Amino acid sequence: MYLRLENIRKAFDTKVAVDNLSLEVPRGAICGIIGPNGAGKTTTIRMVMNITAPDSGRILLDGHQVDGDFRNHVGYLPEERGLYKKMTCEQVITYMAELKAYPKAKIAPKVGPWLERMDLGQYRYRKVEELSKGMQQKLQFITTVLHEPDLLILDELFSGLDPLNTELIKDVILDLKRRGTTILFSTHVMEQAEKLCDHICMISHGRKVLDGSLGDVKSRFGKNAVQLEIDGDGAFVRSLPGVKDVTDFNRYLELTLADGTEPDAILRAVLGRVKVRRFAIVEPSLYDIFIDIAKVDPSEVHGPAKTGGSHA
Amino acid sequence: MHKFLTVLRYEYAQVVKKKSFIVGIFLTPALMAFFIILPSYFARKAPSTTESIVIIDSGGAGIGDQLASGLGSYTLESSSTPAFEVKRILVLTPADSVRFRHLDDSLRAVINDKELKYLVVIRPDAERADSNVYLVTNSSNFTNINRFERKLSDILTSYRLRASNVNLPVDSVLNLTHRIDLTVKDTKGAAIPFEVRYFGALVLVMLIYIMILTYGMMVMRSVIEEKTSRIMEVMVSSVSPFQLMMGKVVGLGAAAFTAVGIWVAFGAALYFGSGAFAIPIDPSTSKLIFHPLVVVFFVLFLISGYLLYSTLFALVGSIVNTEKEAQNYVMPITISIILPVILGLSVVQEPNSVLATTLSFIPLFAPTMMMMRIVFVAPAATSFSPFSGILGESILAFLIVVLSTVGIIWLTAKIFRVGILMYGKRPTLPELVKWLKY
Repeated sequence: MYLRLENIRKAFDTKVAVDNLSLEVPRGAICGIIGPNGAGKTTTIRMVMNITAPDSGRILLDGHQVDGDFRNHVGYLPEERGLYKKMTCEQVITYMAELKAYPKAKIAPKVGPWLERMDLGQYRYRKVEELSKGMQQKLQFITTVLHEPDLLILDELFSGLDPLNTELIKDVILDLKRRGTTILFSTHVMEQAEKLCDHICMISHGRKVLDGSLGDVKSRFGKNAVQLEIDGDGAFVRSLPGVKDVTDFNRYLELTLADGTEPDAILRAVLGRVKVRRFAIVEPSLYDIFIDIAKVDPSEVHGPAKTGGSHA
Repeated sequence: MHKFLTVLRYEYAQVVKKKSFIVGIFLTPALMAFFIILPSYFARKAPSTTESIVIIDSGGAGIGDQLASGLGSYTLESSSTPAFEVKRILVLTPADSVRFRHLDDSLRAVINDKELKYLVVIRPDAERADSNVYLVTNSSNFTNINRFERKLSDILTSYRLRASNVNLPVDSVLNLTHRIDLTVKDTKGAAIPFEVRYFGALVLVMLIYIMILTYGMMVMRSVIEEKTSRIMEVMVSSVSPFQLMMGKVVGLGAAAFTAVGIWVAFGAALYFGSGAFAIPIDPSTSKLIFHPLVVVFFVLFLISGYLLYSTLFALVGSIVNTEKEAQNYVMPITISIILPVILGLSVVQEPNSVLATTLSFIPLFAPTMMMMRIVFVAPAATSFSPFSGILGESILAFLIVVLSTVGIIWLTAKIFRVGILMYGKRPTLPELVKWLKY
């Protein structure tokens, strides 16, 4: 399932939450919507989920405008988590899957394996309220993916998860991606997006400021520099063609390359003359890029987790 | 449609499987009996124990003795035990006012339920002026006070007849002038006593009130719970807010009807069944509760009233954050359902008054107010036209409720969809109006 947003706009009163946003997420891609709190991520996601309607613009799934049935093929994990506290884990999973019109006969055999996979096997018949917060998050994640959605929308997926559970869920997500599930992922923590996403859409104050594949974005904003760690004398590096500048720390060098110079060519030139211990292309982090292009106050980007709903 | 049914089924099961539902099935009729039937039963019931009387007779005409023997004819219900025991007749001379004052004061001081219940005081000239006889008691039992009244009027009337030299035997004059028991018949010639109609109306209105309030509040609580536990957003990613709202309203309504259904089945078993459990129903009561108009409109107003109010409760649930906040809105809603009971007596005395008729056409009051009027008017109605009279008015009131329910559902659906995802500050009215456009 591929997702396409065309010039969507949403205003609440006089506040424009999302302004003229277009975005394309190919099938089987993991797309990260990143931006500071209040940038319009949740509003965008709610419009994709058809929870709020855009004032203008179109949202297309596989080229069709969304309708009531599309919900059945989408898994949605909202930023605000919540489950029926008085139900058992099994009941919650079953009810949620039934609400996705997933066949009853297919639900029952999947409950056990999913709970096992999330280390919740022994809680199957326990009430949700008996589970810790982290366990409830994992349980909710199961309800998001059990009905085999074609599109998975995860709002601030990792907030509140410990490293172990983060790893567990990341594995599932990569697994789903391999099977062709399209994943839309929002976060204000750039490092996570950097590790997981193939595709990035940065928004700030309701506007898209950047979008493209992670590689494109990085090379577009890269300074074309390489890091070199060697055994031996590296003085010759300064005279290689295409090298503009060198910062020499004896065994560790930072090279700034002339425009159009491929880092590969430098590596080939160095190999054989000295022993190369490490060669790395210096890439700006998403965080750096975001600060650079969105011209936002850096403090906004890693702001505290949002509490209470708003038209973010 | 499929998802609406899934929500409905879940909400229904959640309620019906709870212990509180089972308890409510038994407790609700018991409470209703307790608050409606029991007090009226006790007020009309003759006392079950012999009660003691002291008579102070300072009239000098022997009225005290005659009253004592007259009261002796009363016995307790279904036994030969006398209802009254005259402990003392204190006869004083009319002039002995010092002793009278002393006795009157000391006897008043000992009046209580156990030793002395009634003190009858007969003053001089009692046979000429009624105010010279009086009864001192703290009881207000109608039956007994009525007995004193009857005996005393018989005795005093015969004194007055003799004094006025009527040329007829006193007894036959008493017989001829006996106060008649007025039988009230309605235009159909049937006489359903006022109490039966009043309590019948009260029971039906209270039933509507209890069902609407209990299950309407459940709708509200369920919405608030899903809001506070943040399930709402997941829910609306699977079902539309409208399906969710209607699933809740109808699912919980089905639970309400299950309860009513159980009561009706149980009542029918008691009524039609034979053997130890069969209870005889007063024919005038059955004439009332089996009247087609009463039955049909009870069902219609219960359903439409529930839908109207539970949608309102869903609206309240969607705009507040906690049950505490909801209290401010619940109060006026509760009052508008119970209004007919509050206005009760003035409505039932003149069920076709301008006030009663007008109120029964106002959407929020109609379900209970119209029901009350139907009980009072329908059994006496001789003709039924769908355009006038009680049938016409009932149909009109029902249509008004249905139309406003549709309107409220439309309005609520618009606000609900925004409200359920709003946390924090309670919206103001202008904000709510804006939500309609989102």
